[in-house]
Amino acid sequence: MTESLLAVRGLGKHFVSGNETVPVIDKLSFTLGQGQSLALTGRSGSGKSTVLNLLCGLELPDAGTIVMHGQVFEAGGAATRQKAAAWATLRRQHIGVVFQEANLMPALSLLENVRFRAQLAGRDAANSEDWLTRLGIGELARRYPDQVSGGQRQRAALAMVFAMEPALILADEPTGSLDRHTADEVIQALFELQARYGCSLILATHDAELAAGCQQHLDLGHLSAL
Amino acid sequence: MKALLSHYRRHPLQLMALAVMIVLATMLWTGVNHLTSQARASLGQSERAVTERQQVVRSDGQALVIEDFVALRLAGVCVMPWLEVTPETGSRLVGIDPLAAHCFGAGTGASQVLDQPLDGKPFVDMHTAAGISARESRLYLLAPETTRATDLPGGYHLKTFLTGPDTGELGDSFLLNLEALGVLVLLITALLLRSVYLLGLAQRRDSFALLHRFGVSPGQVQRWLVLEILVLALVCVVPGVWLGRWLAAGLGGGFGKALDGLFDIPLYAGQGQGWITPVLVMLGVVVIACLGDLLLLRFRDRLSLPVPVRAGLAMAMLVAGLVMAWLAPSLPWVFVAVALVFAGAGWLTPAAVAHLAHWRANRSSASLALWRHRELAVLVRRLTLPLVALQFALAMVLAVQALVTTFESTFDRWLAQRLEAAYYIEVPAGANSKKADEWLTSQQESVPGLRWHRVIRGRAELAEAERPQVDVFAVAPVGSLIRAWALLEATDQPWVALASGAGVMINEQLARRQNLGVGENVPLILGGQPTALPVLGVYPDYGRPAGEVLLSAKTLPDSFNIRFESFSVTPGEPGIAHITDALEKIWGVEALSLRDNGTVQALATGVFDQTFALTRAITLLTLILAASALLMMGWVFFSTRTWYFQLLVVWGLPHRVAAGQLLRLALLLTGGIAVLALPLGIWLTWVLVHRINPLAFGWSLPMAVYPLFWLELAVLSLAVGLSIAALMRRQLRRPAVAPVSASALTGGER
Repeated sequence: MTESLLAVRGLGKHFVSGNETVPVIDKLSFTLGQGQSLALTGRSGSGKSTVLNLLCGLELPDAGTIVMHGQVFEAGGAATRQKAAAWATLRRQHIGVVFQEANLMPALSLLENVRFRAQLAGRDAANSEDWLTRLGIGELARRYPDQVSGGQRQRAALAMVFAMEPALILADEPTGSLDRHTADEVIQALFELQARYGCSLILATHDAELAAGCQQHLDLGHLSAL
Repeated sequence: MKALLSHYRRHPLQLMALAVMIVLATMLWTGVNHLTSQARASLGQSERAVTERQQVVRSDGQALVIEDFVALRLAGVCVMPWLEVTPETGSRLVGIDPLAAHCFGAGTGASQVLDQPLDGKPFVDMHTAAGISARESRLYLLAPETTRATDLPGGYHLKTFLTGPDTGELGDSFLLNLEALGVLVLLITALLLRSVYLLGLAQRRDSFALLHRFGVSPGQVQRWLVLEILVLALVCVVPGVWLGRWLAAGLGGGFGKALDGLFDIPLYAGQGQGWITPVLVMLGVVVIACLGDLLLLRFRDRLSLPVPVRAGLAMAMLVAGLVMAWLAPSLPWVFVAVALVFAGAGWLTPAAVAHLAHWRANRSSASLALWRHRELAVLVRRLTLPLVALQFALAMVLAVQALVTTFESTFDRWLAQRLEAAYYIEVPAGANSKKADEWLTSQQESVPGLRWHRVIRGRAELAEAERPQVDVFAVAPVGSLIRAWALLEATDQPWVALASGAGVMINEQLARRQNLGVGENVPLILGGQPTALPVLGVYPDYGRPAGEVLLSAKTLPDSFNIRFESFSVTPGEPGIAHITDALEKIWGVEALSLRDNGTVQALATGVFDQTFALTRAITLLTLILAASALLMMGWVFFSTRTWYFQLLVVWGLPHRVAAGQLLRLALLLTGGIAVLALPLGIWLTWVLVHRINPLAFGWSLPMAVYPLFWLELAVLSLAVGLSIAALMRRQLRRPAVAPVSASALTGGER
């Protein structure tokens, strides 16, 4: 059994719509070991993105506990500011987030984006160009995001994430806006590098084929939709 | 159409804000424009009424009575009675005889002569004026230009007729000031409209993209947008014009008093522009401000030039404008120069700032600083038009504020200089002023507090090739009344030297024109006798185009042709009656022409304060509008960048740090605008006071800069930056889920 990087116990989150309280996540529990991958599946509105936001501290849960990288985050209670600061540190140094689109700063070149992310994480930014090369876009390093294709932008986003040497990658439909062929290339690169560098991965997707590439599978489809 | 308008169904407040902005913008501009055109019309009318006129006066200095009118008419002299009446309460009225108006070439009466009906202030029928219970009344007999001194019977002579103090071209200059304010208000209101409209457009971009996907062409969307804004403008502009006229009428009372007091110009009701011009102008402004980008979009490719060519062209325009403004021989060239400088600066500024930001970014070792500078370059490039427009607006506010304040201090000093004594007594024609001089000298010791001097006015020539004429202002004794004058430069003990006849003082205009300084000799021909006297001092002489020499009356030769004489008197304890009674006896006249300078000064100061308070209020309003425009546009454009600040939070920067980055960017952007507006504003001030004013009116206002205004604008700009950051902070707190606009997805907002 690998060492546990992430443990989620009884996680709950609801949103208020008018006078109605709508539960999105209810009593969700799972663990993820170091270097393991987990696919979060479910139909639109099942709460995949919300779970990812909770797991990186962009949103705070209403119930449950998250143990991430040795730090325990209980739902509710005071000290919200300290929690936010602790989550920010985790995101900066240990959690790489990849969205479906718009992961790059448009005013910076691909290389500058990668350097920026590495520097923020406190890693050596000298390898930034290598990461772009490893992802097959080394020759595009000095181009700006609007000068490359969607697939190349997602590769650059992955380069950014790997350049920060994360413990956990949270990928929210990372190939959702790409054609099948490009999506396959990007997801293959993601799985390869994740396996090679031993970081954990949580992949939110509605694509069963992509989910099959992960070691674990958690279906949120049975939960109530927002 | 329904889909397009659904935005306003979901955001009714935005539609209301846009409508209110159009109404307010129209109201403000129409109000200022209406006041200016009213003032211009009144000034023109007043000038037509009183210029080029002369009056017949009695040679013995006595006041004119109805028998004089009869005597002149019997002698065949065509004169028009002008009865000036100051009622117990209310403003001054003028009674005229319409039948006598034919003297001035009008066939059917004074209404044509004066270009207005005889049914209200200030002109009424002679009969009406004579029937009013008056505090003071005086009869003048106006003669046409064609009347010569030889036409008059014995005992009468001709004299220039002026209804008020001659303020030179201050009136015209004041109107120029108002015109500048009108242009400023138009620019600011256009900006404000644009900012509100762009706010709506930014929120509707996704809807437009959706419509495009549904098969609606961009051209169709544009046409509907044009129609939408035209309908909205039509609905809002008309009430705006009505409100503007109402505002002008409301301000007109104070404004009219100001004009009347300052320039003796009554503000007539019912003048100014009609409805069509303001409605058309504001419709044009609304359409251009809101849809200018859309309309120009199709010509963009044809109009675009390579960056180096554009930069070179802009630099050439800027340099040409600066040189032309310096050397321009006439007013049109100065205006061309101003346009060139503004166009050049407007073209260069954003590119230069973006370039500077890139340069700083490339020298930043920290990625966050690199990103911030790049982001600044993006903001500057994306906000080119509104930034440049705001830079112009701030520069114009700076210039107009400086001009107004300069005017205010100029008027104050002009008043203090001209009205130093408590009373001003005109020496009647034919009266012996030396006798009065002797009597006043004899009273000097016995009357405590008596201060006075005799003023002799005339002309002299400069002993140069073209023999240019200068005014002579001779006083004696050179006492404490005149010694209070401020001097721009002077020798040691200048007033003592002047009293002893050791030299002269000259006004600023003469010093500038002849390039004369203290210690240099002024070659004069006084009463036909050449003389050269050293300059003891240079005094400011506001608003007069003519050069003037101030000297002791003792130094005037007997041959000097005296054109006018008066006494300036502060009577001390016994009061003015003691003086006037004595002078009436000495000169053998029933009444003296006496002016109470204290009352005039109090009235004028009150009126000036009111005038400048009005100008300041309008300037303040434009400043608030400029700040609002800056705030709204900044907010709109920062909103489109929210995602990138949220991305910083996703990447692990605490909210506080991301908000700090936003604050720094907002302050850099808005503070930068103020800094860039500063040199342009100072240059524009210089152009207004040193180029436009002298070329338009023949004299220059003192060039003064007011660092307090700079500070005001800097504080205002920084406050706007802080407000943008505060508004954006709320948006940053929302969870990061998606970029705001579709183009952000592809990184297109670079």
